[in-house]
Amino acid sequence: MSHENSKREKIGRMSPTDNELMEQVRDGRVEKLAVIFERNQTMLFNFFLRLTGNRAASEDLVQEVFIRILKYRAGYQGDSRFNVWMFQIARNAHVDYLRKRKGAVALDDQFSEIPAHDPLPGETYEADQEAALIRQALDRLPARKREILVLFRYQNLKLREIADLLDCHVGTVKVQVHRALKDLSRIYFELQGGKAS
Amino acid sequence: MNCETIQEKFADYLTGDLDDESRRGIQDHLAACPSCRAEIENLTAVWAKLDVLPREQPSGELRHRFYAMLEDYRNALDADAKEPRPTAIPARWRERLTFRRPAFAAAFSAFVLLAGVAGGWLAGGGAGHSARLSSLQREVQDMRQTTALSLLNQPAASDRLQGISYSAAVRNPNAKTLEALINTLNTDSSPDVRLAAVEALYLFRNQPGVRDSLARSLAVQDSPLVQVALIDLLVEIRESRAAAALKALVKNDKLNPDVKKVAEQGLKQLI
Repeated sequence: MSHENSKREKIGRMSPTDNELMEQVRDGRVEKLAVIFERNQTMLFNFFLRLTGNRAASEDLVQEVFIRILKYRAGYQGDSRFNVWMFQIARNAHVDYLRKRKGAVALDDQFSEIPAHDPLPGETYEADQEAALIRQALDRLPARKREILVLFRYQNLKLREIADLLDCHVGTVKVQVHRALKDLSRIYFELQGGKAS
Repeated sequence: MNCETIQEKFADYLTGDLDDESRRGIQDHLAACPSCRAEIENLTAVWAKLDVLPREQPSGELRHRFYAMLEDYRNALDADAKEPRPTAIPARWRERLTFRRPAFAAAFSAFVLLAGVAGGWLAGGGAGHSARLSSLQREVQDMRQTTALSLLNQPAASDRLQGISYSAAVRNPNAKTLEALINTLNTDSSPDVRLAAVEALYLFRNQPGVRDSLARSLAVQDSPLVQVALIDLLVEIRESRAAAALKALVKNDKLNPDVKKVAEQGLKQLI
């Protein structure tokens, strides 16, 4: 569940859920997409930013997600979780983005790249050096591991939902989370000049 | 429990989704296995460090592009719906074209009439009279605003949302329209309507008094969603008067912690 959504459920029980709004969008009230956009744009932007490290590309990708939501709205199943559906679209948009950038290179090869990222506001502050280090470590993770960590750590998706998204067993997700974190820990301590145990 | 099981259970351990028995099993194993203990300590430390990455804000450009795209899409849908078709108009469009509220119906009819007159004028070669044309354009804009105002007063939130999208399409809103939008932002009962009002006012941020009203509105908002949208907007337009409003907001003990985080980040960017 997205950060914004869990927040909504706590405070805005009177407002329609994203799921209800998406059903209305599907049924022709496309203006309701504006509310979904306002609730999710920052969360999606941060999802893409952590995957690509590039602000401009991340904004393009958020826009692409909403274009695709309109394109595929007729196929939205009311009983499905909107969040998982949206992340499926987001992941596909990201894969297409990587394909466009790299031509026909196999995805696994692309995943070893280190994304370049623009200087972010706040990076100049000394207090944010640790954030810069952890971002650098995330960037050096192979993209599949980075993605699973980002989904699990920042998007507040449950292991079951990630398994649905990646079309695999929950057990596989658990093992991958452990491995990804182990790699991240090693890279982080290397960058720090120390040693991982 | 052995070293391999610990690895399998680690994700649940992080999220706290473990039953008592598994938790005890892990604790017992860690007490006896120094290498698992060291690893778990490392991984938990890195997991905690992931929290230091700040939540970034997209630029206002993204919002503009989204609303332009949505508007294009709606126009295309409307155009499709207006084309004569052999089959009956789908129910949802019929519903759209039926006005149950007299105020809206009257205003809309006048709007359609004016648009028709304008069309006729242009077709008849009247376009050369630029003064008359611009006066007519003004009248259309005025009518659009009248329609928007009457919609903003409707009891159904969906009508008020429509009213906001009407007023957002006006190029130079008059003081009455701006006042109605600001009033909606500060007093509307629906957070969705208030969110839409934030958007519309973003478009009119350069009109007199709007920035000040936006900064002052922060103190009266109680919905975290609206608060966050408003903070994003104020940071985006670099409104210096907003710094004081943000400072006051973060001092509020009852403030939602997520909103507080966004406000603190916003303050960093404004100062």
